[in-house]
Amino acid sequence: MIPLREDSVLRPAPDVRFRIVDGEAVVVRQKSSEVLVMSEVAARILALADGIRPIGAWLDLLADEFEVDRASLERDVLRFAAELAGEGILEIAG
Amino acid sequence: MSFTEVLRKTWRDNILFSVLVELTYRCNLDCFFCYNDLGLRGEPLSTEQYLRFFEDLADLQVLNLTLSGGEPLAHPDFLKLGARARELGFVVRVKSNGHALRGEMARRVRDEVDPFLIEVSLHGATAATHDLQTRVPGSFERLLANLREVLDLGMRVKINSTLTRWNEDEAEGMLDLAASLGLPIQIDPEVTPKDDGDREPLSIAPSREGVRRLFDLQMARAVSVARGADDGTLPAPVEKHCGAGSAGVAVDPFGNVYPCVQWRRAVGNLHRQSIGEIWTGSAGLQEVRGLTAEAKLRVDAFGPSGGFLNFCPGSAAVRTGDPLNVYPEAVLRMEETEKAVRKKGLLPILP
Repeated sequence: MIPLREDSVLRPAPDVRFRIVDGEAVVVRQKSSEVLVMSEVAARILALADGIRPIGAWLDLLADEFEVDRASLERDVLRFAAELAGEGILEIAG
Repeated sequence: MSFTEVLRKTWRDNILFSVLVELTYRCNLDCFFCYNDLGLRGEPLSTEQYLRFFEDLADLQVLNLTLSGGEPLAHPDFLKLGARARELGFVVRVKSNGHALRGEMARRVRDEVDPFLIEVSLHGATAATHDLQTRVPGSFERLLANLREVLDLGMRVKINSTLTRWNEDEAEGMLDLAASLGLPIQIDPEVTPKDDGDREPLSIAPSREGVRRLFDLQMARAVSVARGADDGTLPAPVEKHCGAGSAGVAVDPFGNVYPCVQWRRAVGNLHRQSIGEIWTGSAGLQEVRGLTAEAKLRVDAFGPSGGFLNFCPGSAAVRTGDPLNVYPEAVLRMEETEKAVRKKGLLPILP
């Protein structure tokens, strides 16, 4: 699994296209012609992975949005982002 | 949720998911049976309008964007528009005659537009037949050379073909040619009238024997006998016959919005309204959505054979004036598909 930190900046891999349909992410991987439908959480993370904001900024937003403790979000978000990066859906920007 | 369930949701809940844009009716070929209404007049959408339109589509979470024409590469800002479509995260398909896909243009399409798929048109297995249709000598050889170049560049290509009286004896050759290039091919056995209702293209509609031979060949090679949607999706099992106006629209170069590329019933115009306003407010679209539900009942009345009709309400409208009228060509298709299926004891393979 790719180690990520709060200052890591992620973006969708170049061959990934995605849209949010009724809260879920429809992800197309152009190279492999693969279509994935991912959860609401994945949809939110994909939308946040703009290649500019570090993961720490996502955590601030998500903590506000879901009114949960930032620290408790951190581990889950880092793990999930690392999974998406490990799958080649997200990549480290820059 | 599976992808099929997502598609079902887009059809059922009217979620715009796929858009086909005819950027221009200009073309470097002169195909005899081209369906474009070349007499249509209006103010072409400007490049700035297209860019705003694409942004609106991205905001609406449209995934599939097909750039078509005419010949889309003939639009002076094709690369700019294609690159912006890529930037906005669309799955871009390009429907081209392939004539200009060579050299620097081909490389720039790959590098700047990065299309998911390029669909090119093949009209025969020989230069004589292909060029008879395109009315441009040398277009067959040029297409083959360009296809090899595009494949060398690593782009994904699909061949689209329409069976006609002129090429029906070359169907096997077309399948062989596609196989020799390692490309999928979809041969549609229906010639349609032009978008303005002109029936001249029907003068080269294939014979029943030609359609039968095509289906036999396709069945033998396990090639699709069904017509795929422009976004490459399969029919979604809901209470509508198709996604026309429910999950997709088509737009002509003058901003007219239609439920589908084949259903030329204008439901709005982008010069006057945004796509978001048209999508939620058009009475015409509401009507179309109702008609696709009625069309499903008409097709279901054929029982299990109905699926072989490949019925298209848009085609019905232009052929008969009634989008719910099951036209003879669809019935012919159903009958011949069933025969081919019975002969092989197989089910047709969907694209």
